[in-house]
Amino acid sequence: MNQTMTSDSSSALRDNAEVAEALGRGYAAGFVTDIEMTSLPPGLSEDIIRQLSAIKREPQWMTQWRLDAYRHWLTMPTPDWARLKIDPIDYQALSYYAAPKAGLKSLDEVDPKLLETYEKLGVPLHERARLAGVAVDAVFDSVSVGTTFRKELAAAGVLFCSMSEAIREYPALVQQYLGSVVPTGDNFFAALNSAVFSDGSFVFIPKGVRCPMELSTYFRINAQNTGQFERTLIVAEEGSHVSYLEGCTAPKRDENQLHAAVVELVALERAQIKYSTVQNWYPGDENGVGGIYNFVTKRGDCRGDDSKISWTQVETGSAITWKYPSCILRGDRSVGEFYSVALTHHHQQADTGTKMIHLGKHTKSKIVAKGISAGRSSNSYRGLVKMEKGADGARNHTQCDSLLIGKRCGAHTFPYMEVKNPSAIVEHEATTSKISDEQMFYCRARGIREEDAVSMIVDGFCKQVFRELPMEFAVEAKKLLEVSLEGAVG
Amino acid sequence: MSQPAMPPLLASLLDAPLPPSGIDWLDQVRREQRAAFAAGGLPDTRMEAWKYTALRALAQRRFASGDAAAQTHAVDTAALVLPGIAGPRLVFVNGAFRADLSRLDALPTGLVLQPLSQALQGDAEPLRFALSRQAREPGDAFARINAASAGDGVVLRVAAGAKITAPVQLVFVGAAAAVDLAWHARSVIELGEGAELSLIEQHVASGEQMHLATLVSAIELREGARLHATVLQHAAIGASLIRRSQLRLQARAHATVHVLELGGALVRHDLQAELVGDGARLDTRGVFMPHGRQHVDTQLAIRHQALNTASSSIWRGVASDRARGVFRGAIVVAPGADGSDASLSNKNLLLSPGAEIDTKPELEIHADEVKAAHGATVGQLDERALFYLRSRGLPLAEARALLTAAFCRAVLDDLPNEPLRDHLATLLLAQLPDT
Repeated sequence: MNQTMTSDSSSALRDNAEVAEALGRGYAAGFVTDIEMTSLPPGLSEDIIRQLSAIKREPQWMTQWRLDAYRHWLTMPTPDWARLKIDPIDYQALSYYAAPKAGLKSLDEVDPKLLETYEKLGVPLHERARLAGVAVDAVFDSVSVGTTFRKELAAAGVLFCSMSEAIREYPALVQQYLGSVVPTGDNFFAALNSAVFSDGSFVFIPKGVRCPMELSTYFRINAQNTGQFERTLIVAEEGSHVSYLEGCTAPKRDENQLHAAVVELVALERAQIKYSTVQNWYPGDENGVGGIYNFVTKRGDCRGDDSKISWTQVETGSAITWKYPSCILRGDRSVGEFYSVALTHHHQQADTGTKMIHLGKHTKSKIVAKGISAGRSSNSYRGLVKMEKGADGARNHTQCDSLLIGKRCGAHTFPYMEVKNPSAIVEHEATTSKISDEQMFYCRARGIREEDAVSMIVDGFCKQVFRELPMEFAVEAKKLLEVSLEGAVG
Repeated sequence: MSQPAMPPLLASLLDAPLPPSGIDWLDQVRREQRAAFAAGGLPDTRMEAWKYTALRALAQRRFASGDAAAQTHAVDTAALVLPGIAGPRLVFVNGAFRADLSRLDALPTGLVLQPLSQALQGDAEPLRFALSRQAREPGDAFARINAASAGDGVVLRVAAGAKITAPVQLVFVGAAAAVDLAWHARSVIELGEGAELSLIEQHVASGEQMHLATLVSAIELREGARLHATVLQHAAIGASLIRRSQLRLQARAHATVHVLELGGALVRHDLQAELVGDGARLDTRGVFMPHGRQHVDTQLAIRHQALNTASSSIWRGVASDRARGVFRGAIVVAPGADGSDASLSNKNLLLSPGAEIDTKPELEIHADEVKAAHGATVGQLDERALFYLRSRGLPLAEARALLTAAFCRAVLDDLPNEPLRDHLATLLLAQLPDT
């Protein structure tokens, strides 16, 4: 068990003029793109779902699937077990579909304004993609606006397209796997997503194929009063390998917007899936006004022996984050990993963690969760490690560390360990500390500005997780932390 | 939808008449708590605090209240004797005070020790605060029925500055009766400023029986008070025992609590502590060792509410056969409790394929300048250590027993009463599963 020393940091520094100035900076992705949108009227009903399904030219089974999910959702109570302060959400006031107007046939037809948006965000769409070597599926509000590198991927046999397209083009695959990891009635927000999801990414890596490049999805919420409900499905067949990146932003708005996504991963024998997220939804302003409600269900199923699923997430945005990327370790010797940095500032609330369900023999899981709380925010790790009866020789190690910056924030740890196998080993350790005076003094004495010193220390605190991110993402994540922490020093 | 039928347990407990006190406010509290118990019902596993302890089987059973023979059950007094404990003694059999088994003569100056039933006949006003405490949480069924139905228990007060050297022994005996009994006891314990006390709470069985017992203890430590409490739970193997201990520590008070959970079929202990004064300190140590089909659930909740408070907790669990050990160790550092230092360690051994351990250490930090850490593990004995011992000629069973005893030993290490410590270590050894 670790113990970390904490001590007082100078309060005089809190009045630092630079810090006050820096407060004005912050969310760089907070602009609105003014383009023509088609959207469904606000409200949720079977009719709306039928319309949505019709707009997307979905087959009958898909419409039925959505309706079943919707009917189930109606019977479910809003979950309240996470101690989050959430204003009641009016599901009837939301619009469940918003799309840029013109019908799109290829990336070249995409509204230049939209491309400009992605340009501003630094998404390597179009030629830039070629340089970066990352295939991108970009989702703007409810629909996918273009997928790059289709040909190259197709040559390798990899299917990478929007979910809407997959439902039309590869219905058999979608029908086989959709909802097989996260069933429609899994939880309140997963049921809602199943009923109204508008788009998302579909990835299929055939047997033995190593995906030639990293795949990526960029999500952006632009329209007002819309919810974004995307659905991602990644299937990796025997012996295949894929690395997938996900990024998100939204404009600054005073009202809260809902984002309820579902991500399903299926890894068959010896397959490996690496899923990385940098989540930078608009977090709300310094008074806690506005921001995205990010209620996401992410789950991976290691179905085959020797398969591996690895989740890496950097969570800096959203007013409320509520997500637990999980692994079901079904195959013998399968491996689950979870690396997370969650940073909260101002009035943000994050309740995040993972579940590792060990079913197979000699399964292994590793959890590294780093929480940083500043301002008046609240940051919780909530996790479950479960060793079922058949998990002979299974192994887990969990490490959760929290860093407190300031006096009004909260850092919490709620790990659950359930062990039913006498040959399994579970270990959990957690610490909570703050940036020490000695560390600050050391840096300041060497002429390092206070803000830089804090970001250096925070960067060091997160290193173990950043190491797991693909390089471009690691750079972005580091920058994001710096921006998000502005004004937090003290 | 029709009202579901009331579970037999609930109905049978509500059948019992409230103990008459003749004190208006107390009768009022008892009525209210009984009504709350009836309305709230039994907790189920959907409630976070009862997630791992299902009461389905218990709920289907009936318990009679009040044992007419409580004063006459033969109890072997030799079984009550503990090494290193020779002070005043208060004995309850099936919840009723037994003067013949107790030792209340020549109490040291500064110590008040009497059964609750007697204390209520005198001036009940000083007990009003402690006895009026309402159980408000949704899962508080047993605290409620205890508040309503406990007619007897312990009143213990140590005057300010008094240092009581002889340990005080509180014994709760479950004695075999004609029917399955439910009984309830309540303790009110208060240490004045700078007072010192050693206390041992003992749960023992006289014969095999299947009773349900509840015990709620309110323990208050005023400024600078010092308490050593040891709980030895060796209840009948068929007994259901549900206890709640509520500690409140004022400034610079220091409490040390050692708990050994050995007996019982369904055992639940809510150990709740509030560190409300600056510089208060709490150390908890415990071992739970369920075997057979025992279910032992410890819910430790420590709340740091003042500056520079400290807590350290070391708990060990060993589950074998088809037993289940449940542990929750929640530490809350409230806003403003700067300078708090909290640590918790819960290590568990899972020795059989049918056994289960569920553990949940929690940290909830709302303050600054905090040092907090917790760790929990579930695993087996170290194969290499076993190999080492066996290669030196120890039979497997003995090597395992030795390592298991060493695993639990950390809990007893800082128990100051040496004869008692050795005795408890022997009890632990005797409980070890033969594998």
